[in-house]
Amino acid sequence: MTVKIRFFAQFRELLGSDIVADVPAGTLLSSMIISVAKRNPDGYSALFDKNGAFHEFVILMKNGKRIDIADADKTVIIDGDEIAVFPPVAGG
Amino acid sequence: MIAIQTEDVDIGALIAAAKKQGTGAIVVFDGIVRDDEITEMELEAYEDIAIQELEKIARDAADIFKLLHVDIIHRIGRLSVGENILIIVVSAGHRPEAYAGSRYIIEEIKKGVPIWKKELTKEGGRWVPGEHRHGKPKTV
Repeated sequence: MTVKIRFFAQFRELLGSDIVADVPAGTLLSSMIISVAKRNPDGYSALFDKNGAFHEFVILMKNGKRIDIADADKTVIIDGDEIAVFPPVAGG
Repeated sequence: MIAIQTEDVDIGALIAAAKKQGTGAIVVFDGIVRDDEITEMELEAYEDIAIQELEKIARDAADIFKLLHVDIIHRIGRLSVGENILIIVVSAGHRPEAYAGSRYIIEEIKKGVPIWKKELTKEGGRWVPGEHRHGKPKTV
């Protein structure tokens, strides 16, 4: 199945903007982000700490709804999902 | 009008259009690229989501503060020092509601709408750190 992952701001500079990933059914949100982030060591360390946990400032969305980073390893993604990963917002 | 766009906007025309029946006060907020030893500023947005969130903030502000009209125009792309970034125009029957509604809108935008700024300098660029995390105010 295919899902889209979108990075923004400094995460986009390190990992790309709109990435379409082909993943097996039942893939967890956290696993999918890890597999994409591992393509770039700097991108990976921008999102994850030394223990492999999300930095607390990372914000996740699935189909426009925020997902707590603590729930990322309990959230199953399905075909067609759009995942967004971004740092704290700075508009205005 | 609620919009995320690269183009600037005619604030005078917005003010004229905001004068609905019953209007006694209009407050305009104009956020501008400040000369913090930068050459330009680059803004990006998660547009689909940001526009939905701006629309919700406008609806909530209108309900809470009894606003008669709300415009929010957030610009993206590359902007020079002195250019408009964010224009908020609100009208209300009286000034307390207009001021409070305008303030509510800017603070809600800063809390959670997915938009980012990068300050471009002669040496390179730096992302402006967000004031809030996970859509909630930082605890101080």
